Formats: sequence, C-alpha cells, structure tokens
Amino acid sequence: MAIFPSKEWIEEVLKVAERSEEYKEASKDWEGDFLCSIECDDDFLGDLSRKEVMEGFISFLDMMPGESRKKYKGTPMGDFMEKKLGISLVTPMKGLELNELVTKISKLSAEDLSGAALYFWADFWHGSIRNMMGVAPSEHDDAAFKLSGKYSSWKLLVSGQQDTMRLVMSNRLQLEGDMQYMMKRMKAVVALTKEVLAGVPID
Amino acid sequence: MYLEIDPRIVEDKGLSLLWEETHRFAEEVVRPAALALDKMPDPTRVIEKDSPYWDVLKQMKRLGYHRIFIDPDYGGLGISATEAHIILEELGWGSVGLTTAIGVDQVPPGVASIFGMGDIIEKVVKPFVEDTEAKYHSCWGMTEPECGSDYVFLCEESFRPHIRELHPGQVKAVKDGDEWIISGPKSSWISSAPAATHVGLHVTLPPHDCLSNGAFCIVPLDQEGVTKGKPIDKLGLRDSPQGDIVFDNARIPDDYMIIRPPFYEYRVGQIICVTSCFMGAVFTGLARAAFEEALKYSKDRVQGGKPLCEHQSVKQKLYKMFEMVESSRYYTRKVMEHVWSKIYIEKTYDASSRHALSAQICGTNTAFEVAHEALQLHGGYGLTKDCLVEKLFRDARASLIMDGANDILSLAAAYNIIDEYQ
Repeated sequence: MAIFPSKEWIEEVLKVAERSEEYKEASKDWEGDFLCSIECDDDFLGDLSRKEVMEGFISFLDMMPGESRKKYKGTPMGDFMEKKLGISLVTPMKGLELNELVTKISKLSAEDLSGAALYFWADFWHGSIRNMMGVAPSEHDDAAFKLSGKYSSWKLLVSGQQDTMRLVMSNRLQLEGDMQYMMKRMKAVVALTKEVLAGVPID
Repeated sequence: MYLEIDPRIVEDKGLSLLWEETHRFAEEVVRPAALALDKMPDPTRVIEKDSPYWDVLKQMKRLGYHRIFIDPDYGGLGISATEAHIILEELGWGSVGLTTAIGVDQVPPGVASIFGMGDIIEKVVKPFVEDTEAKYHSCWGMTEPECGSDYVFLCEESFRPHIRELHPGQVKAVKDGDEWIISGPKSSWISSAPAATHVGLHVTLPPHDCLSNGAFCIVPLDQEGVTKGKPIDKLGLRDSPQGDIVFDNARIPDDYMIIRPPFYEYRVGQIICVTSCFMGAVFTGLARAAFEEALKYSKDRVQGGKPLCEHQSVKQKLYKMFEMVESSRYYTRKVMEHVWSKIYIEKTYDASSRHALSAQICGTNTAFEVAHEALQLHGGYGLTKDCLVEKLFRDARASLIMDGANDILSLAAAYNIIDEYQ
C-alpha cells in the first residue's frame, strides 16, 4: 500500500505502467503531459495526522530539487510548511521529526491550509510515462493538460474508485486542454485509471 | 417467432429462453394493452391511474426491463448487447409506444449511472433501479419548439465548424450558489413527459450562445416552476403519451448536473448513439410484426380463386418484406453490439455515430416500408381500425420523425461519412 502523494507512490505508478501491456497498447499513440494540482482540504489535513502519510508527504517534497521547493515560498502551501509545520523549504527534508510534525498537525484547522496546493507533473508519451515528479507552482505551466481538484477527489481517482471522466463531469476535478484529442484517445485515459492507478493500492 | 440464424443465440439455451419469454410477454401483455391504449379517443386517458399504461410499466419494471441501460455497477442488468437487442425487438413487436416508455424511463438514471456520482446515485439511480411499482417514471427532454432535430448534429465532430449556425437552444440553466436555475420550454414531442416524475434534460449554459455549450441534467418534475402539458392527440404512437414541459425558475442541486462542459458536446453524441440503436432494434420489431401479419393474411385471404400468397406478385412482396426485416435485425444488432462495447464494456465512449444513426434510419425506414406494404396487401381491410396493420402503419410513420427526423439523421451521418470514412 502506498501513500498518496509520496515518492513511493510515484515510483510504483511508473513500475506498474512499465509492466502493463494493456496500458502500453491503449496509449501507444498518446503524446501529452499533465500538470496536476492537488488542492489541500479537510481530508488532507486529517490524513496528515497519520505518521505514515506525513512521511509520504515529506518524501514527495524531498523529490523536488531545493530550487523548485523554494518556489513554494510565499504561497499558501509554503506558509503552511514554514509557518505551521516549521519545515524549511531550502534545507534537505531528511531527518525531520515526524512525531513532532504530526503533533503540530493535530493543533491545526482547515483554515491553516486554505488555498494550499501541491503539484505533480507526468509526461505520458507513446505508451509509457517518461517522467513523473512533484513540481513547484508555475513549473510545467505549458503542459498539454491540466487536471486540478481537491485532495479527496484525487484520492477517488488514484485509488481507482472513480474514473477521470466521471470526476471531471461532476466538477470534482477540473480539466483543461485539447478535449478533442483526449476524446479520440479515451482508451488511454481508461487504461491509465484501470490498469495503472488501480494497480497501485493506496493507504 | 422467426428462424434465428445467429449460432450464438441458437446454441445458447439461456438466450433462447430469454427470447421466448420476452416474446410471450410482448404477445400476452404488451400488445393487448397497446391496442387498448391506441383506441382511447382522449389521449389524457392513457396516463390516468387505472390505465393499462401503468400496468404494463409495472410489469416491465418487475421483469427488470427498466435496468437494461443502467451501468451494471449501479444496478443495471449487466446483459449483453445481443440480449438487449432480443428484448427490444420483441417488445417493439408488441408495441413501439410502450417500449419507448420503458426506454426513455432509463435515460436519466442510465446517463447518471454512467457519468454521474455523489447524491445523484443515491437519490435518483438507486430509487429508479429498485422501483417495481412504477412510482418513478422518466422522460428525455431534448427537442424544443425552435430547436428540433438540431440536437442530432451534436453527434458529429465533422459538423462542429457549423454548430453556431443552429438555434442556440431555448432551455437555459444558470448557476445560483450550489444550485442551478432552469427556464425555458421543451417541445410537445417529449415521450412520456405528461406521465413522468423526472426528466433527463438538455440545457444551455451561459452565455447561452450555442447548442454545444450545454449540459445534461436531471430535473425532478414535482416542483414549483415546472409545468407539464397534457398528452397531445396524434396520428401514431398513441400508446406513448407525449407532451411539452415548461420550466420557469425550476431548481436542481449541483450533483444533478451530470454532463457539463467541456464534455457535453462529446458525450451527448454517445447518448444519441445508444438511443439510435434502441430505435433500430425496436422498430425492427414493428417491421417484423407487420410482415408476420401480412404473411398470415396472405395465406387466409382468397382472391381470384386462390390464397393471396399464391399470386406471384404477392410472393415477391412477401419475399422483399422478409429480406428487409432480416437485414434490419442483423444490421441493427451488429451496430448495437459495437455501441454497447464502446459504452458499457470498454467505456471509451467513442462509438461510431454514423453507424448508430444508420441503425435508427435502417430500422425505422424498414418499419415504414414493410408496414406500408403490409397495409397495401390487406387492401381495404388494412385501412380499418380492426386491423393491427393499420396501427403498425401509423406507428411506423411516426418513427420517421421521432428521436430525430430521418432526413436530419442521414444528413448528420453524412458529415461523418464524408470526413471520416476510410
């Protein structure tokens, strides 16, 4: 079971995509990267109070180069990390005291996370995922598709409980990009949910 | 019953049984009720409490026919396209009007089960699926007084450059906090509207400038701001009550807005693919009913000293009718299998609209031409109210207009053929 979002989750997704012949076949002509924005909500705060989720969150941030992480400075997420959790955006993430962070979380409310968002970028190309990583605000802003929504909606997607289209149509996720291109390649979108995301159980 | 040549059906006892049982139901329950409804001089009688319309609807729901088009994950029957086609052809053989009632009944919960989530599943899909008393009954609100078959063009990507040449739509939705407010008229041709508790509604969204800038939502009809018209008096399909619905600041929660931009213009075409296949199967049933009546009559009726069927010109007519019915069955069934696979199995929602539209055109044209020949073969008797073919002919004529006039369907399909045929 992986934590979403975390370094481990990203690595697992990449492995499953690499293994899945169904996904490769369905997305063999797909060209287009995704910039994904996870808006932090009550559920996120609740999950962060679990030590293993906090660890996953830290590992996700640690994947980013320090220069990228610095770009969170001044954003609601940057403020949350620096001012509420006391995490430096500049120094390496390793060695943080998780129990202490979880204790701090228990004293926070949803307001402390208001407007905060995490970003990750995935580059889908001809049946494989060439790259997938946490990114800073404004990075990869020219991605072919942008998918954004609350953490609770993302969990429905990455757990394979709901597909992208249903979440977008119910306005739980918002999608920008060339819709005509996507509609003609729904096989790839379905296979990503069914074969790849659902293949990485999340905790 | 007919000689089935598809080995999948012949060799499968389950399928054969389904076929026989549905036919028995169509013959013993559906057709007699349809004939009684057809003879009611006042169309408002059709939807009164004690009308056979409700008896048939209840029985159809008890047999699960209201769950054919529901996603199996949300209570749908989970049957194959072949099974669905068998059921629909047999029900259509009994009555295209009553089959239309159980068909449109599934549009709102069916679309919601495929594309919706949240409250709509608990509040609409589940109650519909579990209903066996016809407490709930739906209709599909697409056409408008100034915007009729135009909606069919939303099927066609090739038509998109011209979409703004169409009427921008009359029923409009605007957001108000967590709700949507809906106003505007739907036309008098909405099947089952006078009897319905819910409508699967097509609306346009601000700035209301184009039909493709729209959404599909579900609107409960028992609220202020909704006026349902009386059933209209009409030539055919008298067993299917049709009427208008006018919205004046009706309200729905946000979860009831099922398909919205940017998906609307892509998904609405796929809904039309499903309904077009439905029409193809159901009207193949009508065509077969007309052919069987003609065949039977031609054996009984003696003219010139011998039964009609022994005259060569009649033999040729009977052969032609047979060929048309058989072609319609196997073509519309094949198209339904394709559409079913894309929507219910693979869930890629990329069914071929030119094939789906042509299934509807093929089924309805066949129904009309066969019913026309069957009536001609019955001579003067065919024009009388005692003759089943008289009703079948009127119903078949209506099919060339309902669910998109065939002229427009073929035009829309032609855009696709010219641009995408390979």
